Amino acid sequence: MACGSTSLWAGETSWFCCGNSWGPCGSAGGGACGNCQSSAHHGAWPNASAACFSITRPDLCGENIPRRGCGSVMNVRHQCSGATVCITITDCGPRTKDWCGEATCCNGACRTNRVLDLTPAAFSAIGNLSSGKLPVYIYE
Amino acid sequence: MLSLTTGLLPLLLAGLLAWTGATKALGPDVVRTAPKTALARLLSSSERAVLVLRATGWAELLLAGALLAAPGSALPGAATAVLGAGFLGYLGYGRARAPQASCGCSASEDTPVTGRSFARAALVLAGGLTAAGAHRTWWDALGDRPVASAVVLAVGALVLFALSADLDRRLLLPLRRTRLRVFGHPLTGRGGARQVPVAASVELLENSLAWHTTSPVVRSALLDHWDSDGWRVLHYSGVHGEGEAARPVAVLFALDATAGRDTPGDPVIRVSYVDADTGAPVAAEELRAAPARRSLRLVE
Amino acid sequence: MNARNTTGVPSEGMRRRRFLTAAALGGATIVGASALGGLDADAAFAAEPSLDPAIARSSFVEGRITGITGSVLEVAGSSGGHARVQMTNVTSVWKVRPTTADVIEVGDGLYARGVPMPDGTVAADAVWVNIVNLDTTIRGIAKNRVHLAHGQHEVVGNILADTGASYAGRGLTSDLSRLRIGQSAQVLGAWRPSDDSVDVVRISVGH
Repeated sequence: MACGSTSLWAGETSWFCCGNSWGPCGSAGGGACGNCQSSAHHGAWPNASAACFSITRPDLCGENIPRRGCGSVMNVRHQCSGATVCITITDCGPRTKDWCGEATCCNGACRTNRVLDLTPAAFSAIGNLSSGKLPVYIYE
Repeated sequence: MLSLTTGLLPLLLAGLLAWTGATKALGPDVVRTAPKTALARLLSSSERAVLVLRATGWAELLLAGALLAAPGSALPGAATAVLGAGFLGYLGYGRARAPQASCGCSASEDTPVTGRSFARAALVLAGGLTAAGAHRTWWDALGDRPVASAVVLAVGALVLFALSADLDRRLLLPLRRTRLRVFGHPLTGRGGARQVPVAASVELLENSLAWHTTSPVVRSALLDHWDSDGWRVLHYSGVHGEGEAARPVAVLFALDATAGRDTPGDPVIRVSYVDADTGAPVAAEELRAAPARRSLRLVE
Repeated sequence: MNARNTTGVPSEGMRRRRFLTAAALGGATIVGASALGGLDADAAFAAEPSLDPAIARSSFVEGRITGITGSVLEVAGSSGGHARVQMTNVTSVWKVRPTTADVIEVGDGLYARGVPMPDGTVAADAVWVNIVNLDTTIRGIAKNRVHLAHGQHEVVGNILADTGASYAGRGLTSDLSRLRIGQSAQVLGAWRPSDDSVDVVRISVGH
């Protein structure tokens, strides 16, 4: 599957580590799909499975995020800069319910709720890791 | 003392099984926590995991009743030992296959499988085996030496409580919360609390039109920053132009040092490119041509 | 505000900042290349014509630093492999805060973004040293640290003078007094390889 341009969702993305890594990330494991790697363009989706959805519960923030399982491919675009990265879903996350209503804006246009987590490789391709989170458009 | 302990063991085991069994069989948390258990991975279904957890809960309650009612018989003890062995096998599987999953041991906990879970299951196995071989009933033991029995029961209950992953949540965290309430929040009144952190200025910048305008040029993250006469200067590096005309440039942003994302009004950010070799301003006209404020298209 | 102001900045650095401040405020007058000091592209940068923006795709490097040879970081990838990261004087370095390459040590963890060079190195645009972004629960709060649960591990978070907090999606503040035990918290910080603790740079809690 190639990365497409059909609009899927919009919101905030954060970043996380997975797979073999150093420091506190060393214990993160391969994620819900087993093959997540920090150095690859991977991501975590809150509705990667029914079990995943029951943990992240984006519906509690009013986000009826569709199911996209392991191996789904998405194009993620930084709302402010337009920088884009193509990712594969390999994990479950973020816990959207913990951050209901959180907004990140670009020049006054805001995206709410954490709907995506990116690996450091994917996040740094569109933004700076020290920023922690970014507003994004998601295409498939 | 040993015979007293073995005599009272069925009572302790029954207490443990009644507690874990009741939370699994009747607790409302099972449906919420089941998807996170290693069992859900094993069965590939949260619904089936709930059913198995509920059934195990009832089995534990039944065993608790049998241990209390028929301590002289070897059957409840043997069945408890089998249950303990089953728990150990399941925990081993969970640890190997899904280290981040919880064990679902007492259903109300969602902490991953730890050494404590193994120790508790091992106690159930050992306790079951001992109870199966014991000939004394717990009420005889209680009647013979009531004070010593009370001590043994209290120590046993403490050990089981300490092996519970719920301990932290039920005891440690409330204790720490109370300490904060009594002695005050330790992080109150830190120095410089009124100053806007540099990261807040960066956040403001990266959410601004200035960032949007300069994104084709900026390549680095924040290189340097300093405050000067009420301005906060943020220094990035980048490359301006393409091919032969490409020049390494310093990208400079100046913004109000007291402004953060929640400051009302539009932030004023000054932007300039400076040629890294010559110090000459680069593309000043291009930057001035950027509109002061522009709506961004939400979806393309 | 800036750590390097208080630890003694060389006068060259101060001159450069004054010049850049003037440029940033739009009042730039050209006083000649010599006034730029350290900003002049170093030999490595100037000798790399491949640092052309036409190279749209940045490379990414992840791993532990196994050696530092001059301005090159030797990096062992966590999943195997080896990379060489070329630092230039326009490479941004983050280690707890924006800083310079001389604080990077062997044994540090690293993420870097840069441009692949013909000699096999990656000319870094940005490196983040020991940076972590952890999904945690606050288990305890003390004067200089917070105790965090991250998965099945306990992590000690060191509170620094410039640690910031964000509450319910609001902007960053240095007020940490609204953190509560039991809250879910996203912790952006820097791992300390020496004692496995984390220096907390930013702690974000939800509603």
